[in-house]
Amino acid sequence: MASTADAAPTKNSARKPVRTRIEYQRFNVFHRWMHFLVFVSFTVLVFTGMPLKYKETAWARWSMDLFGGVTAAGVYHRIAALVTVFYWTAEMVFMIVMVLRSRGKALKSPSSLMFNKKDLQDIVGMFAWFFGRGPKPQFDRYAYWEKFDYLSLVAGTMIIGVTGFMMWFPMRTTQILPGEFLNVALVIHSNEALLAMGVIFIFVHFFTAHLKPENFPLDKVIFTGSVPVEHYKEERPLEYARRVREGTLDQVLVEKRITWKTYAADVIWWVITLFAGFCALLMTAFIIWAVLT
Amino acid sequence: MAALVAVTTAALLGSAGAATAATAPLLTAPSNDACFSCHGSPDANQTVEVAGRQKSIRVNQAVYEASRHGKLACTSCHLGFKPGVHTAAQTEGWLLTAKLTACNDCHADVFQMYRGSFHGSLEFGKSGGKAPVCADCHVAHDITPPDSPAFRASIDTLCARCHADALKTYLDSYHGKAFFLGDAKTAVCTDCHGGHKILAPSDPASTVNQANLIATCSKCHPGANRNFVRFMVHVDPTSPHSSLLVWSFYAAYIMLIVVVFTFGATHSGLYIYRGFKDGLYSRRRSHEE
Repeated sequence: MASTADAAPTKNSARKPVRTRIEYQRFNVFHRWMHFLVFVSFTVLVFTGMPLKYKETAWARWSMDLFGGVTAAGVYHRIAALVTVFYWTAEMVFMIVMVLRSRGKALKSPSSLMFNKKDLQDIVGMFAWFFGRGPKPQFDRYAYWEKFDYLSLVAGTMIIGVTGFMMWFPMRTTQILPGEFLNVALVIHSNEALLAMGVIFIFVHFFTAHLKPENFPLDKVIFTGSVPVEHYKEERPLEYARRVREGTLDQVLVEKRITWKTYAADVIWWVITLFAGFCALLMTAFIIWAVLT
Repeated sequence: MAALVAVTTAALLGSAGAATAATAPLLTAPSNDACFSCHGSPDANQTVEVAGRQKSIRVNQAVYEASRHGKLACTSCHLGFKPGVHTAAQTEGWLLTAKLTACNDCHADVFQMYRGSFHGSLEFGKSGGKAPVCADCHVAHDITPPDSPAFRASIDTLCARCHADALKTYLDSYHGKAFFLGDAKTAVCTDCHGGHKILAPSDPASTVNQANLIATCSKCHPGANRNFVRFMVHVDPTSPHSSLLVWSFYAAYIMLIVVVFTFGATHSGLYIYRGFKDGLYSRRRSHEE
């Protein structure tokens, strides 16, 4: 945290010289709103869905009652599902337009979210680093774990969405498919949910965003959108160097005014992230409990 | 859904409502109080052997009187009773009378349905004594109205006393999960299989016979077609013998989950290890004053 000495929480702050900081704009408003929708809908879906998967546990009923019983929880689950359809579609439209406008080059750019050869080298490099046999690999805009996080969400949402709608509208489904595919849909939906929850809450997203040593205990960038430029230079040296080389660094640098609002917002991001972390820990503990008992 | 409840309830009850007041011999001598003076006493701790099992002779008077049958005379079900102390030899056969045959006196229509059912054919056939009789589901002295939410909520456990495997697969299905967590409208055993006239699925008259499935499912899912009724209510995804199709998806997902979680745990674990080893967790970034 920066020292608070210069922040003047008074009405006169406008007349005093305002403290500013050059920051690197990593996520724009679209990214941040997308993440917010994913964040809220995913949490609701997990807390209204997982109790069905682990119905025998004491917490299953507790979690359902939190939403006003199993029937009401089903309604919230479907509302969150509609939010999911909305953000997924918006993201796909955004991505397709971007790829088409760049005539496919966006897919191959070093800042692309698609896997490329370097990701394979990075995975090998990271394991070498883990065992002290090499330097830590340097990353461009997205590291391989972020690509995995993103692409698995895109694919997983599609799978869980299709099977979810199959079960939501069994009549429509069975106009096309035989009824045993409703059994298959339940198996896919339920296990894809567990997979997604593990990826988001434990093994990939929460770990790489907050718990890995470089970010611990919290990375607020998905809320604030920008990070101090020195921080980003350290975190993603290849993207920084590339922008310097291409002369596009100016496009992503912003002058951020540091006022009392900055600190107030920081508190909010802490609360939100801690809440999400608490939900994730709680559900993880619940599922370990359910699997063990 | 509500329609389903109504239909089931009607099936369960038959036309029981019409029979309650008319034919029952209300409080003829000996009075219930005479019975309860022995059987209602907290000191009534003797047991009597019935079908090889020891059963307490005590009946809770308050519970009985609050039950649906609370105003009936004890002797209206315990047929053949004669005043005086009754020894075990005299009471032989009374239990089955009270649990089965006496019901016919008021609930003849339902009784006929039961008699023609799979359970009834066992009871009145060679396997007598193994199939559930009226009071096995409806309880003897604390009888619960079959249209009450409490009775509906207990149907799964009633059936599971004999059909435990079916209960497990039911509870893993859409209906079962919702039922287990308190949805009172979702289908339970009797909604598909019927209450009194339960027949084996191979019987052409059974509600769950292939030929009748569309009609049965349509009670809740109007418009159910031939595809729809191919949905498997009792399927165990963890067994390839139950349904190879469902199991193959289950097995594939378990493998995928194990692979992803193992890799994720290893990657994160090693990352944390290296973080501590290199002091990355305690390092302050250069730009942080």
